[in-house]
Amino acid sequence: MSTHRTITVALAGNPNAGKSSLFNALTGAHQRVGNFPGVTIEKHEGFLDYKNYRITVVDLPGTYSLTPYSPEEIVTRRFIIDEKPDVVVNVVEGTNLERNLMLTVQLMEMEVDLLVALNMMDEVEEKGIAIDLDQLEQLFGSHIVPISARNRKGLDDLLDHVISVSEGCIEIRKNKITFSAEVEKAIDKISALLSRERELDAAANNRWLAIKLLENDREVYTQVQKYPVWVKVELALQEAIKECARLHSTDPEALITEDRHAFVHGAMQECVRKPKATRASVSDYIDMVVLNRVLGLPVFFLVVWAIFQLTFTLGSPLMDALDYAFGLLSETVAPHLPAGMVRSIFVDGVISGVGSVVVFLPNIVLLFMGLSFLEASGYMARAAFVIDKVMHRFGLHGKSFIPMITGFGCSIPAIMATRTLKSRSDRLATIMTIPFMSCGAKLPVYVLLAGAFFPPAMAANVMFGIYLLGIAVGLWTAWLLKSTVLKSDSEPFVMELPPYRWPTFTSVVFQARMKAVMYLKKAGTLILGAVILIWVASNFPRSAALEAELARETARIETLTVAPELKAERLQKLEARIEAGQLEYSLAGRSGKLLEPLIRPLGFDWKIGIALVTGLAAKEVVVSTLGTIYSIGQVADETSLSEILRSDSTFSQATALSLMVFVLLYIPCVAAVGVMKKEVGAWKPVLFYSAYVLTVAWIASFITYRLALMWM
Amino acid sequence: MKLSELKTGDRAEVTAVTAEPAVRRRLMDLGLVRGTELEVLRFAPLGDPIEISCKGLLLTLRRNEAEGITVNQLEAAESRPVAWHGLRKRHRFGKRA
Repeated sequence: MSTHRTITVALAGNPNAGKSSLFNALTGAHQRVGNFPGVTIEKHEGFLDYKNYRITVVDLPGTYSLTPYSPEEIVTRRFIIDEKPDVVVNVVEGTNLERNLMLTVQLMEMEVDLLVALNMMDEVEEKGIAIDLDQLEQLFGSHIVPISARNRKGLDDLLDHVISVSEGCIEIRKNKITFSAEVEKAIDKISALLSRERELDAAANNRWLAIKLLENDREVYTQVQKYPVWVKVELALQEAIKECARLHSTDPEALITEDRHAFVHGAMQECVRKPKATRASVSDYIDMVVLNRVLGLPVFFLVVWAIFQLTFTLGSPLMDALDYAFGLLSETVAPHLPAGMVRSIFVDGVISGVGSVVVFLPNIVLLFMGLSFLEASGYMARAAFVIDKVMHRFGLHGKSFIPMITGFGCSIPAIMATRTLKSRSDRLATIMTIPFMSCGAKLPVYVLLAGAFFPPAMAANVMFGIYLLGIAVGLWTAWLLKSTVLKSDSEPFVMELPPYRWPTFTSVVFQARMKAVMYLKKAGTLILGAVILIWVASNFPRSAALEAELARETARIETLTVAPELKAERLQKLEARIEAGQLEYSLAGRSGKLLEPLIRPLGFDWKIGIALVTGLAAKEVVVSTLGTIYSIGQVADETSLSEILRSDSTFSQATALSLMVFVLLYIPCVAAVGVMKKEVGAWKPVLFYSAYVLTVAWIASFITYRLALMWM
Repeated sequence: MKLSELKTGDRAEVTAVTAEPAVRRRLMDLGLVRGTELEVLRFAPLGDPIEISCKGLLLTLRRNEAEGITVNQLEAAESRPVAWHGLRKRHRFGKRA
């Protein structure tokens, strides 16, 4: 198909208006997700070919307003002003017209080529709401196209309109809403002043600038402040503020908003007929249970439990299967490669490195299917409502709860799940609590240590205590961050509880696929690199003396005249011993030794130091490294390792406790750090955070060790 | 009086909105401007935040945010017959709606 012209369309609208479903319905598979420059807000871009046009669609973040208070609003505004899309399609929810049209009015003020896509027409008809489209078009000046993105209805009509508008076949009238007399007077005065500044006049729409100045818009303030005319503008603004206070006993910002509401309310009165709601709706009945004083919390915990079960119970066999598949791959590939270094690099480095990235996919996909189901159904906002009080006490948001609880399974999907939080500071604080939630990979370490040094009944208590300690430190960290560096810009809890909807299967799957791709592409490369790096560190340099000893001893054992089983056992023991020696000789081993003076006060020796270094690849590696280093070779099952540890002189109950605390608190695995960097958007906070967790881990382990020495 | 002082089922009209700029803006965007009528639907199980209904929407806000909204109470909860509140009261107090 030949394409003649490209048209850029921006989709703007309230949260939950169905922008994303429209976007998906229009662009299908031709999408890519990036971030808007400078902020970690997703930018969804896609295209479609329609009637010899290539239409690029940009899905702007959902906003209620175009003020510069949240990054979403700033992004939306900047995109419309700076990128100048050919057509702005304002997606409005037909069943919730009054609030949605508030944004339409603000887009109207920007005097862009605006089309209104009246979404959810199926629901509008179902509810018996009558909307007089002609009259509404008259009032707003733009064309209104009824659609139903869910059922893919009216999409062609919308696209035809987009083409007509961009070709100039439809003129979009730039209707102006008239504000109160005093506001209008001030707008005229200020825009007249602004038009004197030629550069400013050419760059922007003066009336809009004037309105924004009256609305106390700090972005426009800094924009205008650069020009000499500012002195006069400032005087005019002060005068307007005084007038508003005198005549309306309020400020211009409130007055302008009230006028917008009045305009929209008037339009609603004229154009929309709703049947009288006599009975409580289905949504109301569900809320009576779900938000009930008594049942609210149990329902909430049930839902969270279900999500957790879905992600990890269903996910772990899949994870094991992937693990097995990669193991199988290594086994099939290994014989075809020359023995020695090359084989080791491919099999132990690359394949297991890739495996360690891919193995998280089932969890990510399942969690995000669950979360997007909750989000799209409308329960997510209610969950936040139910638990917000607890979270708010630590400076977090109600929505922080689900990512935090997911952290008990695995930090990676949990950190990615913080995207549901709108405010950056809430998101950062939540991200930084997650690694303290004991993830599944830390469990083998606890099982080994608690099992080896405590009687069964006591071991369970110890593990429970460790989990509690993690939660406490996590919440404390959140509180600390929110009362110091992240003090500003908490997301206000003022939000809407959307009516319950049945999410479509495609949208749920779509979200999950998106996250999976994002993880593999962005975090995957980083994680892979780090895993390989740690592998290199624990394999290089190799000691030639040990290699020679291995060859010599192997040859010697081969010549012995003993039973083959005995021979094999001896060989195995030898290999394990050499392997342990090599690990000690490697970079990781040396850094373990280098670390010894630092970790001595915690009761650790250099062997534990090595395990802590390799444990950065993944926490469960701590166990296998301890296995290698205590040279128990291939038979690294936990019972024999725990016996060895018990008989080792450095290990005691105090050391075990101290090590558990340290593993709980110190730097999360490289995969989590990679995802963290990706979500935070910069290295600096991540490095700072790593330093922080190391300090906390050290202090906590030190205290644990000393107390345990005293009491045990 | 303040919105935060209302009880479940109370209806009121907004008379002024004061809060820090971002919160105030969000409140106003969601329809809480002077003259808007609202009804307190419920408090969260732990007593905070508050759910209100306003212009056909269900909104939630924390108590400290609700403190910024000055309201005029319209009528007390008891005198208003609404299907599902009535139902609950009947159980609680043995009264008939």
